[in-house]
Amino acid sequence: MGGYYNERALSAAQNEDRRLSVTHVMNRRTLLAGTAALGLGATLAPDAMAQAAAPALKGGKPLRVALLADFVNYDPHQFSSQNAIVMRNLYDTLIEYDDAGKPVPALAQSFQIAPDNMSVTIVLRQGVTFHSGAALTSADLDATLKKANDPKTGKNVFPTMAPVKDWMVVDDKTVRLNFKQKVPDKQVTDLLQFMFVIAKDTVDSAETKVNGTGPFTVAERVLGQRLRLAANPKYWRAKQPILSEVVFTVFSDNESAAAALESKAVDMIFGGGARQAVRLRTAGFQLHQGQGQLVQVLRINTTRAPFDNEKFRQAFNYLIDRAAILRVGYAGLGEVTALPWAPANPAADRSYDKTYAFDIAKGQALLKQSGLTAAQMSDWKLLVNGGDQDSVAISQVVQNALKRAGIDIQLELKQGSEYVDALLGGKFNATFGGVGNVQKFPTRVTTNSIYRVVNNPVLGNPNPHKAYVEAIERVNSAFGTADIKAAYGALNKALVDSSFGIATNTYDVFITVAAKNVGGFTKDIDSLLVLRTVGFTS
Amino acid sequence: MSAPARTAWHRARITAGRVLSRPAAAISVTYLAITIFVSLTAQWILPIDPLYQELSATLEPPGAQFWFGADELGRDIFARVIYGARTSLLTAAGAVVIAASIGVPMGLVAGYFGGWRDAVLMRIVDVLLALPGILFAMALIAVLGRSQAAALVAVGITGIPSFARITRAQVLSLRQRDFVLAVEALGGSASYNMFRTVLPNAWSPILVQVVILSSVAILLEAALAFLGVGIPPPTPSWGEMLRTGKSYLYEAPTYAVLPGLALTLTILSLDTLGRVLANVLEDRREIAEDEPAAAPVQVKP
Repeated sequence: MGGYYNERALSAAQNEDRRLSVTHVMNRRTLLAGTAALGLGATLAPDAMAQAAAPALKGGKPLRVALLADFVNYDPHQFSSQNAIVMRNLYDTLIEYDDAGKPVPALAQSFQIAPDNMSVTIVLRQGVTFHSGAALTSADLDATLKKANDPKTGKNVFPTMAPVKDWMVVDDKTVRLNFKQKVPDKQVTDLLQFMFVIAKDTVDSAETKVNGTGPFTVAERVLGQRLRLAANPKYWRAKQPILSEVVFTVFSDNESAAAALESKAVDMIFGGGARQAVRLRTAGFQLHQGQGQLVQVLRINTTRAPFDNEKFRQAFNYLIDRAAILRVGYAGLGEVTALPWAPANPAADRSYDKTYAFDIAKGQALLKQSGLTAAQMSDWKLLVNGGDQDSVAISQVVQNALKRAGIDIQLELKQGSEYVDALLGGKFNATFGGVGNVQKFPTRVTTNSIYRVVNNPVLGNPNPHKAYVEAIERVNSAFGTADIKAAYGALNKALVDSSFGIATNTYDVFITVAAKNVGGFTKDIDSLLVLRTVGFTS
Repeated sequence: MSAPARTAWHRARITAGRVLSRPAAAISVTYLAITIFVSLTAQWILPIDPLYQELSATLEPPGAQFWFGADELGRDIFARVIYGARTSLLTAAGAVVIAASIGVPMGLVAGYFGGWRDAVLMRIVDVLLALPGILFAMALIAVLGRSQAAALVAVGITGIPSFARITRAQVLSLRQRDFVLAVEALGGSASYNMFRTVLPNAWSPILVQVVILSSVAILLEAALAFLGVGIPPPTPSWGEMLRTGKSYLYEAPTYAVLPGLALTLTILSLDTLGRVLANVLEDRREIAEDEPAAAPVQVKP
């Protein structure tokens, strides 16, 4: 396994199976030849994502974007809904994925996964500068990796660094990462795709100071009100960004943001609610969804009665009306799923959705097998995030369905930090919570608290679901098509059998609704806002 | 029926007659009577279920099946408005009982005895008054947890100061009246004098306060629900319906408008009734100012 990736090879291979496409270009000679050619290629040929920008787009006036929440800081490693809007506009990652999920070089002009899958060598792009004017070098990537590899500073990128044993700066433009064990290609590209590179002199102050290589720079920031970005004149991608200026304005709720869009006070809304988005789509606005859907999951604390009973838990696979939840909570924007995978995840298996469709009779049969009395089955409360109207609604759908099955429960509403504390601390019997990182390599699901295999804050340590832990380990060490398929199958079976998380549907947290005259949208695997290709059509 | 009881009944009838003779009060009383009757008997007289979810009919507009339309879970908004009235009225009633049963004795003792008792009790009242009602209620609910009982207690406690102050003021004005001093001189105990002599002559403003606090309690309960700390779903509540319904103003305007209208009408009716009642009782007090007050016929030491 292993492979060499560069822009041309990946572009040519887009219509082929990814694993086959990378295998035929992965010897060292090709690497050297490709690396030499790519210096030219980066200058002359637009990358796959840049091609999304239509030439007719104009950027003479500011793009006004409505947000539903202010963001907390500029640190690209604190991957959260609060700062996701700026990441891809102020920083770049080593690689990106295109619409088809193929890796596309970005700051990494090329990268080569060693034949034994024990390391990856990254060659940085020439001619890239930070906003400060300094050139991108291996020292910057080294500083970024150090930050990412520290749980205190790496924040949400830290779990992605788990397979990395160490790294070595080969020369001014080359860095080699060594892995603890054989790492599948997809896991390697996920790591590179998630690595936003920060300049070495601002790596410790990334929360407040922006010094990325991204298409925009920060021009003005008024806390709680707005953020103004100006185009980076030295941006390394040719003819990008199209817009000269972007102004983000913070709105307090969906309704006022929608009113602003309808009255042309803003050009687009980012991160609004699904229902409002569907209404605006009906009214003639554009609705764009990313590839980075979350999956809504009924998280179950299997250390507490009655959920310590496996049959009782398994019944929930049938007792959740997923279609109703999707319709009520997310206006149908998403897909029902019985597994915690977004459609882009290689382990996604739609047959589970049919097998575990809403069926009260099948659920009741399992409840009967559990041997629990009606009183025992009803002796728990469903924790609900009271601040999230969608969660309140879908929890009532579940409450109603359970009542039909003979389980009469109450809702326990908590808000804000009180809810987060209960959620992350495992102080609940069951609760809904979205899980992320489910559009990439399957074992990335373990970055979510309920799916952690070690130090699980809900299920404890060691993780009581051995079959699940073993299935995760198997996926991490699977190579070869048949082996990988079998590993994914075992993981899916373990997820349903252990039933500590009942997936219900995919949904978007970063929905974009835009006026008709805004174009050039680029899909991002994490559904982040990519503005470098956006412009006005009129 | 004894003579005093007959007199009290007679006076109540006269007062009620005078209140109902005013059109605004008559309309208010009629509305409140219908609301109370329907909300308390809904499960027997109306074939509606506020919790039943018709998930294929979410946000249905008003029609034959759903008179007021359906909410985001396909529940009958009409049913939820009716049962929401029950929630509001029960909360108001419970809150008034709590407020009056604590506030009135506090005011009686403070006004009757004066001195250190008055100082201590009124400082407690001052502390309660210093706390913004809604914040205090939210803090209390945070401790007690979200439930109808918690909302009822929280709203009730915020009403204690008004009862205590009004009762104390009345007692202070009655304390040195001849009929009170006479009972005291004849050996009537303090508790006898307070509850059998002073209180019956102080009930008019307390009654008005009951009506006014009812409207305040309904509004406060709705405000708590609107802020997301009221009675937890799926129990229907006007405030909760307003909170959720405001997000559906485009798709289902009746969702927020109708419970809002019910809330407004109920509060308006209670306020109107309270205002008219206050005027009628004030008129009666002025007429009866020179007449002997209701005094006990017999005094037991």
